[in-house]
Amino acid sequence: MKWILLGVLALGAVAVAVGVGSAGVPVADVGAGLLGRGDPTAVAIVRQLRLPRALLAFLVGGSLALTGAVLQALVRNPLADPYLLGLSGGAGLGAVSAIALHAPGPWGIPAAAFAGALAAIVLVYRLALVTGTVLDARVLLLAGVVVSAFATALMGALMALSPAPELRNAFLWLLGGFDGASWQAVSVFGAYAAAPVALMVLAARSLDLLALGEEPAYYLGADVERLKRALYLSASLLTAAAVAVSGTIGFVGLIVPHAVRLLWGPLHRSLLPAAFLLGGILLVMADAVARTAFAPLELPVGVVTALLGVPVFVVLVRGWTR
Amino acid sequence: MRRSPPFRPEGVSVLRFGLLVLGLAASLWACAAPEPPSRAPRDDLGHAVRLAAPARRIVSLSPSTTELLFAIGAGPWLVGRTRWCDYPPEASAVPSVGDGLRPDVERIAGRRPDLVVLYASAANQSAIFRLAQLGVATASVRLDRLDDLPRAARFLGRLTGFGSRADSLAYAFSHQLDSARAALGAAGTPRRVAVVVWDRPPMVIGRGSFLSDLISLASGRNVFDDLRQPSATTTIEAIAERDPDALLVLGNTVPAFAARAEWQSVRAVRQGRLIRVSGSEFERPTFRALEAAASLRAALEEIPQP
Repeated sequence: MKWILLGVLALGAVAVAVGVGSAGVPVADVGAGLLGRGDPTAVAIVRQLRLPRALLAFLVGGSLALTGAVLQALVRNPLADPYLLGLSGGAGLGAVSAIALHAPGPWGIPAAAFAGALAAIVLVYRLALVTGTVLDARVLLLAGVVVSAFATALMGALMALSPAPELRNAFLWLLGGFDGASWQAVSVFGAYAAAPVALMVLAARSLDLLALGEEPAYYLGADVERLKRALYLSASLLTAAAVAVSGTIGFVGLIVPHAVRLLWGPLHRSLLPAAFLLGGILLVMADAVARTAFAPLELPVGVVTALLGVPVFVVLVRGWTR
Repeated sequence: MRRSPPFRPEGVSVLRFGLLVLGLAASLWACAAPEPPSRAPRDDLGHAVRLAAPARRIVSLSPSTTELLFAIGAGPWLVGRTRWCDYPPEASAVPSVGDGLRPDVERIAGRRPDLVVLYASAANQSAIFRLAQLGVATASVRLDRLDDLPRAARFLGRLTGFGSRADSLAYAFSHQLDSARAALGAAGTPRRVAVVVWDRPPMVIGRGSFLSDLISLASGRNVFDDLRQPSATTTIEAIAERDPDALLVLGNTVPAFAARAEWQSVRAVRQGRLIRVSGSEFERPTFRALEAAASLRAALEEIPQP
């Protein structure tokens, strides 16, 4: 029942996102546009802009929510979110450097952001292993915070000192959004995300064991250290790709896992796929609102996720505490 | 019990005396008031700008006012400019004080100015306040559109003692602007243009910017002239729907976004109709606007009629 509901909602969200936009394309023309018939501008808008954008928003939203759920379980902290491990700072530094150095080509900025995020991941892991060979969640958290702060400081210095006036707009990229969506972006991100998403969903049973504590999990047969490393790495690598295609979009990865736990309980076997679907639905809807609410102006999508998500979450928490 | 004598006559005379004194005081006040500007002029933030004499050590904190000060003849009195002020070439001989928005007050004070000209923006409020505490007069000028230029020129002329030169320049510019606009009616269908100043997220120029004025003077039309803002974040879809005949971009190089798949839904990008303009006359409103419009017009006419 739950899966049917989520599936219908996901399809509905994508359909609505393809149907609405700043250009007032009538519903009949949207259908014709999807099939490649009718007015060429409408066809281009529906097939080249709206559809890839909705799909990318779905994939990114799902990835962020899934990553958030996994990280919350791993560090056993309800405040954990996908950007925990210094990723947003590293990616931002990469993007700003690319803008400052006039990186050429359409993939210049995303590639630099991805490289920056990877550098941050490596640095955070290296720092977290300073205390020994065992990955300590507390040290990992702190390492993420300091690496992020350091990258943000470097970014601030670049923005203040660089003579390139276009850097003033770089902070807009950091706010996040799907203006870079294309079929290329969807296929690259989709192909890349498949492995980490599968790995995390398949680790659901081990995560349930881990919820009992690391030692009980070990005695119940989970290879705790290997599990933690594999999950941290896949979560980080997935988030790095999400940041590269869409900047840092807050809130989805933090709140969606909690909402799913409130609705359907904490068992990871159902939590992880449900979080993926709900995260995708939320971000597709938020992006549709961001594009259309004040068209032709566009709101930052992170603003909309928070404005839509917080009231829903408050209602959920109220129902849960009653 | 004696009643006090009637007091009325004396009371009247006191009143008369008072009036006389008031009248004298008023005429004295009028004589003592500083010469030509009997009222201190107000800047574009509504603050009175009080100067004992025409400004002779001026710091200009925006490239457009720097150029304007040189145009009205006050250039030799500039003692500070921003690092972005690059026109006229003489401006580079003036020491730079760094950025123009949220400026470095200490560096400005070090130039010992008697007048600091700023762009009228909320970001400058704290600098204005601190300069006032240091006893330095500030004048905030809102210079966004071409129609702001004559007013700004007259205002700065009055503060610097170059009033008559500024007035005649302002008059001549308004006149040229009016006749250029009147001549537009005769032109054919305007080429429809979107000015894309940033790509991630897409940002376009609205009617609050002088670039919108330049396009209409070049007998084109800014497809985003319904937006009141100087610039605004929008979507590729909105640009595709408004279907401009050409995109105007600032700078010399082909922007990277033109190669990206998602931008191919914009007809002007597909057809490679990108007009690149460079030069400071396209970066700020100046008296050179009409020449800028003429060169833009030549570029627009190369675009085939839709």
